[in-house]
Amino acid sequence: MSLARRKLLQLIGLLGAPTVFLLVFFFGPLLIMLVYSLLTPGLYGGVDWIFSHLNYGRILGWADTRYEKFDPVYIAIFLRSLKLAALTVVASLAVCYPAAFWISRMRPGMRDFAIFLVTLPFFVSLIVRLFAWVLILRPTGFLNQGLMGLGLTGAPIEFLYTDFAVILGMTYVFIPFMFLPLYGSIEKLDLAQIEASSDLGATRFQTFRKVILPATLPGIVGGSVITFIPALGNFIVPSVLGGAKVLMIGNLIEQQFLSARNWPFGSALAMLVMSAVLILLIAQFRLAKKEAQS
Amino acid sequence: MKKMHLAATTALTLAPLAASSETLSIYNWGDYINPAVLEAFTEETGVEITLDSYGSNEEMLAKIQAGATGYDIVFPSVHMHDIMFQLGLLAKTDIGASPDFKNIDPQFVRAKTDPDAEYCLPYAWGNVGIVYNKELAGDIKSWDDFFALGDAGKKITLLDDLRETIGIGLIKTGASVNSTDPGEVAAAADYIIDHIAGVTAFTYDSVPQVISGDVAAAHWYVGANLYVSENPETIGYMIPEEGATMYQEDICVLESAPNKDAAKKFLEFYLRPEIAALNVEQQMNGTPNLPAQKLIPVELSSNETIYPPESVMEKLQIFEDLGRDLQLYNSEWTRIKTAQ
Repeated sequence: MSLARRKLLQLIGLLGAPTVFLLVFFFGPLLIMLVYSLLTPGLYGGVDWIFSHLNYGRILGWADTRYEKFDPVYIAIFLRSLKLAALTVVASLAVCYPAAFWISRMRPGMRDFAIFLVTLPFFVSLIVRLFAWVLILRPTGFLNQGLMGLGLTGAPIEFLYTDFAVILGMTYVFIPFMFLPLYGSIEKLDLAQIEASSDLGATRFQTFRKVILPATLPGIVGGSVITFIPALGNFIVPSVLGGAKVLMIGNLIEQQFLSARNWPFGSALAMLVMSAVLILLIAQFRLAKKEAQS
Repeated sequence: MKKMHLAATTALTLAPLAASSETLSIYNWGDYINPAVLEAFTEETGVEITLDSYGSNEEMLAKIQAGATGYDIVFPSVHMHDIMFQLGLLAKTDIGASPDFKNIDPQFVRAKTDPDAEYCLPYAWGNVGIVYNKELAGDIKSWDDFFALGDAGKKITLLDDLRETIGIGLIKTGASVNSTDPGEVAAAADYIIDHIAGVTAFTYDSVPQVISGDVAAAHWYVGANLYVSENPETIGYMIPEEGATMYQEDICVLESAPNKDAAKKFLEFYLRPEIAALNVEQQMNGTPNLPAQKLIPVELSSNETIYPPESVMEKLQIFEDLGRDLQLYNSEWTRIKTAQ
């Protein structure tokens, strides 16, 4: 047996199992969804094995039957979800970027403790934490009581069941997702470069724009992508803090699989989300490649 | 009660002798059975009970359809009982032939596919009305009063349930809550959309907010009486005079049940008036068990929102399975949810 051949066999032996695992458990479900999105809904959930393009027609414009009608509302919900997810990314970035700087400058013991605090919420059930936010945001809640006690507002402000509550809730939930990649790139920042920049006469803003920002860009992009994707498909936050009145695409998909018993339409909507995520990932990949080349 | 106590003590002494490995696996709605009922069953029979919960008929069906096995007993609503029968998921129990079945009021054997109760036992029923904050909402009596609160700038909430909420629109526009006419369903959705500005949320979690005064009134279940009994000064529960929906769940044994014998025993156990009454005491809903209705505390049996008079009962509609026509409601529901 030649050396090259043995190396190849070794490689197959090493990577074979994880590859099969990935194919079966990652692409398998995706494939099922894709196939289901092209079938007819079963009477009581599940699918009937009859081809139908109408699930996409309902979203994209050509369906017009008793049960499958085109409605621009689905695209509108999707666009609105994109907007809410993007705002969540911006808000988490605004919170995490300075926080990551601050924590990276702490002395080591404090630093580890601070990072532990960032991940601490994961130890408590998400639902419990969201209901805590309901208690804070509701008209008779802590926030309004505080504002009224300080005389800042006469009547309670509507926080709960608004877009604001949903963005706040998602930001809160996804802060660790944004923080960790950001922290990774900020911690590696070379202080000597910053000093050199100001020695050479750059203003603080110039230093930030020309030195700090490019150096931390991978963390910003990584954190944004990893926050945006789950935020786009989230349905628990809009249902608890948005009062199910702030409908996101995730809620719509959940509705198709449960109360509406329309799995194919739910699958088609899920494929829509998937393609948006895929486009985003390809864009990120291209960006990273360009950066590596330059 | 005394008799039950006696039974419990005998069971306690015998329990160690019985095969302790036997278990009964119950899959029920959250908080939908008095734990004391389950304890009494274990004490008497030595059968250990495990309890899992679900939040909707569809969630339960989806799990069972996806192949979840190991459950013996489920509690579907009547229309889901029909669906599960058609899908061949239910086991024949002949509970209707049990001697104690005479305790059950025959009007509650509702499932069309199971007219002689060969499969399931009627479990409990109730209506879906309005729980309101007395100070904020005043003395409201109807859906009109309810939506007028919203139009006047006070806050109201509706259930996050497509059939219940479109059902209000159907009642208000004079149609059946089981309508399959696209025009009627669209008109019902329009009724809700016309009043959407006052609706602050679609949620199940509204009772605490009605008590705190964050919400003036909420579309909710008869089980709100439990909270009314704890806060009688603050909140009330009522059935709107235009009519409302009612629900009923049945106890069914699954075809895939690992322990059908214990499951049948549980159904027979639940036929006993004192057991059904024990459940109602804590659940505050309706029981189809006639002798049990005489055993429950008078403040429950005389509460007309739990046991409404005949004139009100006539105005309560129960959901039927709509088959494909559920998709009409699905589209209209999305339209309601996106109306601002």
